[in-house]
Amino acid sequence: MAREQQVEIAAEMVANVVSVDVEPGAEVAAGDTVVLLESMKMEIPVLTEHAGRVSAVKVEAGDVVQEGDALVVLTVRPTS
Amino acid sequence: MTQTAAPATPTSSRPGDRKPPREQDPRHPGRRLAALLDEGTLVPLTEDDGSGMLAATGRVDGTPVVAFCSDPTVMGGAMGEVGCRVVVHAYERALADGVPIIGLWHSGGARLAEGVLSLHAVGEIFRAMTQASGRIPQVSVVLGPAAGGAAYGPALTDVVVLGPEGRIFVTGPDVVRSVTGEDVDMLRLGGPEPHGRRSGVVHLVADSEQEALDHARAVAVLLGAQGSLEVDAVADRDLGALLPESPRRAYDVHPLVEAVLDEGTAVELHARWAPNIVTSLGRFGGRTVGVIANNPLRLGGCLDSLSAEKASRFVRMCDAFGVPLVVLVDVPGYLPGVGQEWDGVVRRGAKLLHAFGEAVVPRVTLVTRKTYGGAYIAMNSRSLGATKVFAWPGAEVAVMGAVAAVRILHRRKLADVAPEVRHRVEAELAAEHERISGGVEKAVEIGVVDEIVAPDRTRSALARAIADAGQVPRGQHGNIPL
Repeated sequence: MAREQQVEIAAEMVANVVSVDVEPGAEVAAGDTVVLLESMKMEIPVLTEHAGRVSAVKVEAGDVVQEGDALVVLTVRPTS
Repeated sequence: MTQTAAPATPTSSRPGDRKPPREQDPRHPGRRLAALLDEGTLVPLTEDDGSGMLAATGRVDGTPVVAFCSDPTVMGGAMGEVGCRVVVHAYERALADGVPIIGLWHSGGARLAEGVLSLHAVGEIFRAMTQASGRIPQVSVVLGPAAGGAAYGPALTDVVVLGPEGRIFVTGPDVVRSVTGEDVDMLRLGGPEPHGRRSGVVHLVADSEQEALDHARAVAVLLGAQGSLEVDAVADRDLGALLPESPRRAYDVHPLVEAVLDEGTAVELHARWAPNIVTSLGRFGGRTVGVIANNPLRLGGCLDSLSAEKASRFVRMCDAFGVPLVVLVDVPGYLPGVGQEWDGVVRRGAKLLHAFGEAVVPRVTLVTRKTYGGAYIAMNSRSLGATKVFAWPGAEVAVMGAVAAVRILHRRKLADVAPEVRHRVEAELAAEHERISGGVEKAVEIGVVDEIVAPDRTRSALARAIADAGQVPRGQHGNIPL
């Protein structure tokens, strides 16, 4: 049986966290928005590439994140 | 550039061998070339003589091409003097015919047993590729390990496709382990993840060998049989509906790119590498064009070091092959920061200025929402010689956003006003600033935007602008793998 994997979704750039759109335990589908960031005077939704279950939320609204900082951790079940 | 010791003579099937004859091996180059080319069109250019390479002429979707394939059934596909000569011969033929060339790779690199002679021969392939660069489209498909010389072969070509078993690296896991002690497998060294996302070595990643060959066919046809633009065939669509209502909201630009192009024709190159800029080939009114678009969903659509480099290579490739460019601009500026500066954003950003400044193909710009600062210039501005610059109503063309500008221009004044009214004063100053210096009408007035076009009239306007440019010239330069 394929093993579950922990996948970290990280900030691509320095940004303010506007909102966190998921809670621990939530199921997400690929393409869902997990966090809304604000940077370069724009609101930038962070989407998940993978479907999975949210195992941890690392930030809250108002936080400033640096490039590479973890936002959300997902438990992903491989499809194969 | 080496492989582990192997017999110096080619092996071929003999009666009594337990292994099936190599002709039945699914990796046999004859089979792979047949799977690449239109059925029944393969004409061998060389004998299947165990040299490690096979070359042929044939067609893809009716378009004539030359193709060659390394032979992993002989010494792991290692490249010797004779095999390398096959590739050089294939290049001579493709250049003489003026047709695309497609290379299929599955090779451990130069033949160790032949010593420096094999290195010399591999170097001659590199020279042939470089001499052909920008003159005929070159597509590579990596179907198995491609090490050393077999890695740099594809890397010198215009478009590199990676199959699911494709692994590209200069030195394999054994050498890495013995030299540095680092324990790493081929997948992590040179598989789809590192090359599709991190290195930019690979333009297209495929889930199956056939899909990889199909990608190569599609690119060869797009570049080799570009068709002609039928302006009347370009129907207008409401492209504005593909953007969010709030100008502050980021969005994925892919639906816009796909809607500008003829339906279902977009082939995105480097999709996962530097994703803040999108570079796609496709058809527009039946003709091949290249589309470059900022993607606000990634890094806010900022230009940065890698995206500038990615776009420059794409611009130069399209220019060399006479492919008109459509540039979709929604850019907040260059990504600021020490990381970018140390990563050579000045040097790499200069490549994009150079690429556009040099390009002779029709290149039409559309500003959808905003274009600011240095990135304004870089995204095929009027100043760099754009054929035509369109903007949607309400687009901002400025050095920076109005609020940011007044915060700098009126820093003292804003510091003096009471905090509770600062926001209102700032907004008033911004409106005044925009009236004087920004706004798309101002840009039209000074001639840096040619025409304001409605989103639902944009496709036909772009088509007319490309058609009005007339015969499409080709840039007289190679396509160095920037």
